[in-house]
Amino acid sequence: MAFFMKYILTILIFFPAVAVLILLPINKKNEGLLRNLATFLSLAEFIASYYLFIYFKPDTYKFQFIEKFNWIPSFGASYFLGIDGVSLFLILLTTLLTFVSLLSSYRYIKDHIKEFVILMLLLETFMIGTFAALDVLLFYVFWEFMLIPMYFIIGMWGTGKRIYSAVKFFLYTLAGSLIMLFGIIYIFIIHYEQTGNFTFNLMRLYNTNIPVGLQILLFIALFLGFAIKVPIFPFHTWLPDAHTEAPTAGSVILAGVLLKFGIYGFFRFAIPLLPNAALILAPYIVVIGVIGILYGAFVSIVQKDLKRLVAFSSVSHMGFIMVGLFALTAVSINGAVYQLLNHGIDTGALFLFVGMIYERMHTRQIKDLGGIAKKAPILTVLFLTSVLASVGLPGLNGFIGEFLILIGSFRSYPVLTIIATSGIIFAAVYLLWMFQRVMFQDPHDQIAPYDHHLEFFDDMNLREIITVLPLIILMFLMGFYPAPFLDRIGPSVLHFLTMLNHHKILYNAIKIKTGLSNA
Amino acid sequence: MHNIMPVIYGLNSLEKSMVSIIPEAVIILFAFIVLFLTFFEKIAKGKNSYYLSLIGIAFSILYVVMLSGRNLTGFYGSVVFNGYDVFLFIAILLSGFLTVLVSKDYIENFDVPYPEYYSIILFGISAMMFLVSSNNLIMVFISLEFMSICAYILTGYIRGNTRSTEAALKYLILGTFASAFLIFGSVFIYAAVGHLNLNSIHSYLESISYVKHGSAPVISGMGEYLSIGLLLFTVGLAFKMSLFPFHAWTPDAYDGAPTPITSFMATGIKVAAFAIFLRIYILIYNFNVINFNDILWVLAVLSMTFGNIAAILSSNIKRLLAYSSIAQAGYILVGIIGGGFYGYSGTLFYLFAYIFMTAGAFAVVIIFENSDIISLDIKKYSGVGYKYPFISAAMAFFMLSLAGIPVTGGFMGKFYVFSAAVKSGYYWLVFIALLNSAFAAYYYIKIIVKMYMPDKEDSSVSYIAPEGKDFGIVNGNISEGIMLAVIICLFFTLIMGVYPQLFINFANYSAASLCKI
Repeated sequence: MAFFMKYILTILIFFPAVAVLILLPINKKNEGLLRNLATFLSLAEFIASYYLFIYFKPDTYKFQFIEKFNWIPSFGASYFLGIDGVSLFLILLTTLLTFVSLLSSYRYIKDHIKEFVILMLLLETFMIGTFAALDVLLFYVFWEFMLIPMYFIIGMWGTGKRIYSAVKFFLYTLAGSLIMLFGIIYIFIIHYEQTGNFTFNLMRLYNTNIPVGLQILLFIALFLGFAIKVPIFPFHTWLPDAHTEAPTAGSVILAGVLLKFGIYGFFRFAIPLLPNAALILAPYIVVIGVIGILYGAFVSIVQKDLKRLVAFSSVSHMGFIMVGLFALTAVSINGAVYQLLNHGIDTGALFLFVGMIYERMHTRQIKDLGGIAKKAPILTVLFLTSVLASVGLPGLNGFIGEFLILIGSFRSYPVLTIIATSGIIFAAVYLLWMFQRVMFQDPHDQIAPYDHHLEFFDDMNLREIITVLPLIILMFLMGFYPAPFLDRIGPSVLHFLTMLNHHKILYNAIKIKTGLSNA
Repeated sequence: MHNIMPVIYGLNSLEKSMVSIIPEAVIILFAFIVLFLTFFEKIAKGKNSYYLSLIGIAFSILYVVMLSGRNLTGFYGSVVFNGYDVFLFIAILLSGFLTVLVSKDYIENFDVPYPEYYSIILFGISAMMFLVSSNNLIMVFISLEFMSICAYILTGYIRGNTRSTEAALKYLILGTFASAFLIFGSVFIYAAVGHLNLNSIHSYLESISYVKHGSAPVISGMGEYLSIGLLLFTVGLAFKMSLFPFHAWTPDAYDGAPTPITSFMATGIKVAAFAIFLRIYILIYNFNVINFNDILWVLAVLSMTFGNIAAILSSNIKRLLAYSSIAQAGYILVGIIGGGFYGYSGTLFYLFAYIFMTAGAFAVVIIFENSDIISLDIKKYSGVGYKYPFISAAMAFFMLSLAGIPVTGGFMGKFYVFSAAVKSGYYWLVFIALLNSAFAAYYYIKIIVKMYMPDKEDSSVSYIAPEGKDFGIVNGNISEGIMLAVIICLFFTLIMGVYPQLFINFANYSAASLCKI
């Protein structure tokens, strides 16, 4: 047990990879075994990751469960892992959603099951690794390889224009990552020139002094990498395609976990590494975030495809999170991180329900759907819960996050916050209107073939209920009792702001000294 | 007065000289043994020549390992053997080993004599090793010609195949031109400095205080002669490195040659050319007679960009890999431009990684070619991912490595050379190279798309996996040799991506003995 606790992060990262090795020799015809074993192993992974939560000390901002070994001494890169309150919950979200999406794919994924479960588990390894890495090169390795399994999942099991979407997703994110790599290499070299040591240790790179003008250029480089992943408004075009064409499990992981990496990257890397640039550019990014909120909302309203609608709603929600993060107040960042988890749970659940409807009706066009409420009461109730959570109904999790973001941001950007608040109203419009059309609309004005499907529309079975149940429980739990989450996120956020303020003071001092300031 | 003849021609001197070329000598010995097998009809048939070549290469590797750590000079300074050579000898020998491994099935499909084939490959390997270890302009020319002649013969080895013959002829004519440039360059260099030995040239330039960021030349006209000579020399070597304006032969020769030979040209010849270029670069070009880094900068950017654009447009897998190798040469050049110990070590690391990913990709192409059902057209790769799971996964991995995705040697190599260039202040070069990598990912991914994501209509290649044997090989006509080659490449590509420190140490050791002049 001591061993387990000491190397818990390594075990969590590589357990799915070992699971892949267990699954490899199984004959690919033995589909039931492959599915059940993979699901079981991902459940085991989730339970093991719960230990992180139990043993996590909530009263400190310091990184915990640290592991550090030399990896490439020539570059000063090390195998350096550790988590704080933010990455703790993101890892838990990853393990939970991987289990959920494996469980959800029993009906949807019909061929190449072996490849599918292997790719899902491989993806899990790299996602957890990205959240746990405190070494920039290690982070980059995990970060970029993560693209590959996701690319295969979209391309092999997707629908419609799956290849186009997969390639677009891959190239778009790869281009961003490579520009980010340029920034990383640059910072690495600047640190070397200042100290004479090669290091990728994040804690040491935080102390690099970079001239402000250069910081802004480097911030733009990192910004492109992270912003494409988030995705922020002008860089979002890969997202609707990838989400729409991906299989349900892929969409859940994509929305639930992959989009989180962009925000996490800003929080952990871009802002603390280049604090002055972040302070200078923050207002512009908040403006972009607000544009994203409104753009995502407006485009969602007119979507004809159910899944595309949920995908665009992600753009809107991620806009909120960006606003919260770059408002740079304690409350708003707490809210942003909290909303990050909420978005993973709510949107993940929405994609699950969309997937269930698609499996039964074989269409995602809103105009072809309708009258499902009569046929499937359980589905209706649970779907409605997720919709309301996503809209931000008090008592469910979405409310807490959005409330904190808006309260926190109001102090820094009152006008922009007021504009952003309208995003919640639009969310209610597009989600509830969608729900009304899909579930209650009179089915008689439909085109014939889907009538047939509606007749045989079966309600959720036990497996599907188990799939969404953890998410539904979390929606209520996080809506009613956010303390256990915010307690652990809080110290990390405060420390983040302390570091930033430290730089702010230093920067202002330099400005006064050199006469840059007008004051 | 002492009679100096015994000193020069003494047994001792010759012995020392012989020791410095033992690895090459072993290869040549085996090349002759394999060649003489043709005298005996009974043993000439069958696998003897194949096994003998492998044994010869293995012996040579053994001798390289035994000699490692020594600094040997032979034949009055025209051949050197030090840490730099250890690294590159092993790289070249492994490339040769892989070539021989993948040749057997392929060459047996054609009605050509095989002992000679293996013998020429061995001669080619020895020529590359001589080229790497040569320390004299004449020696460089001789070994380069030796290597090229082997390559010309091998390119046209498939008799009666018009493409092969055409490729060989094109390669021969253009190659001869390049060699002419090279020897012309050597003449100018000799005219300027009066030495042929690289170390002597180096110390001469140093002695007349041709220090870096140059002061004016002492002897009038010398600077011009040296510049012209070095430029012409660069042209000759750039031809072998297939850098952009001198690349014209590459696609045709790579496409027409027997695929194992394409692999050999893409790995062995390129590595040997880069190795000797690096040695001469450090010894002579570094004096900045004219700003060579600017010229190389242009060459690197053009090679990357041209290679990638042309690769995107090509639909034949061998041509695609040929263009991709032009682009890769551009990336490798970034490391040389970056320079310094860090940059040279990075270049060597990248070269090593490059061998395995390229040879691996070609090995897979050969497997698909051998099994008769798949031609070289990328369209025919549709759906093979399900039919040959192991080989296709390996191919996907090599493609990702060439694209520079992490967990592969390709990523670490790129990271290494790019960070070296940033360290020396070549920001734009690295930026362009990174954009090129993003651009290049498209055509590497295209192959993976074909293998794993067939369009529903053209999936006639059979979507249902047949009862597979091990590794999913269906026809059973894939020998262990070629599988071994794929596994070796896979292993090295993975290890260099996951734990590169071992290879970095090796490259550092090699670069250290290169920089220590």
